[in-house]
Amino acid sequence: MLLRIFTLLFAGYFVLVGTVFAAASQAQSSNSQGAMTLASSEQQDDLFSDDFDADFGNGFSDSDATYKLISDPFQPFNRGVFWFNDKLYFYVFKPVAKGYRLILPRPARVSVGNFFSNLATPIRAGNALLQLKFRDFGTEVYRFVINSTFGIVGLFDPAESVAGVKQRVEDFGQTLGHFGIGHGFYLVLPIVGPSSLRDGTGVFVDSFADPFRYANLESIEYLGIKLLDVETRLSLDHETYEGIVQDSIDPYLFIRAAYAQRRLAQVGEETYNVNIFEGPLFDGDLLNPFDWFGF
Amino acid sequence: MMKKIIICCLLVLGFAVSGFALPQPQARVEQMVDSILGVLQNSGMNAAEKKAQVSGRVQEYLNMQSMSRRTLGIHWESATEEQRQRFTDLFVRVLEGTYLNRIGDYSGGTVKYLKQRVKEDKAIVDTAIISAELEIPVQYKMIYQGGHWQVFDIVIEGISLIKNYRSSYGEIIRQNGYEGLLALMDEKVLAMERP
Repeated sequence: MLLRIFTLLFAGYFVLVGTVFAAASQAQSSNSQGAMTLASSEQQDDLFSDDFDADFGNGFSDSDATYKLISDPFQPFNRGVFWFNDKLYFYVFKPVAKGYRLILPRPARVSVGNFFSNLATPIRAGNALLQLKFRDFGTEVYRFVINSTFGIVGLFDPAESVAGVKQRVEDFGQTLGHFGIGHGFYLVLPIVGPSSLRDGTGVFVDSFADPFRYANLESIEYLGIKLLDVETRLSLDHETYEGIVQDSIDPYLFIRAAYAQRRLAQVGEETYNVNIFEGPLFDGDLLNPFDWFGF
Repeated sequence: MMKKIIICCLLVLGFAVSGFALPQPQARVEQMVDSILGVLQNSGMNAAEKKAQVSGRVQEYLNMQSMSRRTLGIHWESATEEQRQRFTDLFVRVLEGTYLNRIGDYSGGTVKYLKQRVKEDKAIVDTAIISAELEIPVQYKMIYQGGHWQVFDIVIEGISLIKNYRSSYGEIIRQNGYEGLLALMDEKVLAMERP
């Protein structure tokens, strides 16, 4: 089905974000501050509004526009990195993920993924707080407490599977977007994949909220942990990236457009229909685990 | 008394209006989804048979003319009638090749219907695909034409299919021209349709 293609961005390739980012981002963030102020909010048009009319207007009035989703002044460079990542994916990450699948059954890999995700709570909670989304902050704290205890150090996700409280995806790139800062320009980062000046900076900033950073690990151990995180996600993905490469005339352009749209939806989440079916947010009743089972 | 009459009139009018209302867009989406899931979940068919079955079914629910026009945006206006037709034909096959290639990935999952919004001849239907580990929001943008609600865009997790194609194809047209895009699409379609 079509949706497979689109789940790529976070499931398959872009999930590499939040991983080994050290070198690339350090070099880049040093000169990003000045440019950041230049970043406009050009992308933040009608998609932001939850208004019914605007939603329709957006769907119908823009057919005449040349749709520029994100500016890409460094396209030749980005294409080079894209090519490199592509090779890396097919010759390194994917084979490793396949081996990993053979060694560890799916439920175990899901648990490893849960574990990493639980430990990344400070990033999501912190950014929710920065955006003054107190309910989301509460939701994340609640999930962390429940999953770290009942969920056995985060290996399981009873907060969602039992209480129905879903994770709130937040990162510093979204926080910047929330306060009106645009992407700046599109950037494909080595290993990390699709990003932008704003979001790349965001990943770097977020890395300071990563507990592993403060675990006194050797850099090789840190790298190993990040690779395990990436490989776990890849092993749970169903060849999404392969699908895109196979089906689109120019995968680079396709992924860039999808990335820009996806991030816009995440930042302007009011229009984002995912909110319609979200489970309960943090709420007093949810504090009582007996409540989950209807005792 | 006057008030009662007015209320009665309003009620009657209300019914009359609802009697003329367009059929429900959501029902149309449900019909489409059920029809396709029916094929996908049929364990008696092999992949090739499923492809053949799905292929014909999807198209009757999509407004390909509208999708093609929106995908090309400004380039639609400058294209000749013949070019438009060639584009539309190729675009149908690109889309079809894309989703048919994904059929093998189907591993269960149901669709939940969340909300429909209608405004004149346009509608937005919000749904979610629910599977074991994922919930994927899928939004259908529809237009009422020829007595049916027809899908002209699908927005998955905030990513509009049409905008994605418009953005990539627009850039290809800028670089390679309209004929260049058609040639590339032709090539792609042949590659996708190769067994």
